[in-house]
Amino acid sequence: MPYYQTWEEFARAAEKLYLTAPMKVRVVLKYRHCDGNLRIKVTDDAVCLQYKTDQAQDVKKIEKLHGKLMRLMVSKESGDHE
Amino acid sequence: MVLLENDSFLTELTRLFQKCRTSGSVAITLKKYDGRTKPVPRKGHPVNYEPADNKCLLRASDGKKKISTVVNLQHHVAMKLLMFSALHYNYFLVMQLVHLYLVIKGCPLL
Repeated sequence: MPYYQTWEEFARAAEKLYLTAPMKVRVVLKYRHCDGNLRIKVTDDAVCLQYKTDQAQDVKKIEKLHGKLMRLMVSKESGDHE
Repeated sequence: MVLLENDSFLTELTRLFQKCRTSGSVAITLKKYDGRTKPVPRKGHPVNYEPADNKCLLRASDGKKKISTVVNLQHHVAMKLLMFSALHYNYFLVMQLVHLYLVIKGCPLL
């Protein structure tokens, strides 16, 4: 799957994907210090959403989304179970 | 895969970041965790585990070493902040060094 060009589209799609299948979705953060970039991938093994950045301001946005998804995962209002 | 406590996980994660400074990458995976400790049994066998709804699994790897931890509802905010502060520290340390280098290079006394 190609990388998203805008953060807003990626964030919306990622949250929507998580809410459809909470137990299947995983969030992967990949940091390469030598290249100076950070990639985030949200996938349920069928659909794969990816975003990459080398901008410092995007790191804050990634942190916010990661925190939001983590909060959804640990909260008791869960979706379907497998 | 080494399962660690939250504090040990953060310490090891910082070590992974430091190890991968010159080459390599660090991958952090986050997934909802239902409390299973054994594989899914075959048909006809009973499923024995305590289902949990308020946990998530955090895994980190540099390609060779793998670490993991389970995060509960009580600790998820602190874990997120500390994890990203480790990332920020490694990222911005480079940026500060680059900035310092440019400042020195642009200095008219040199």
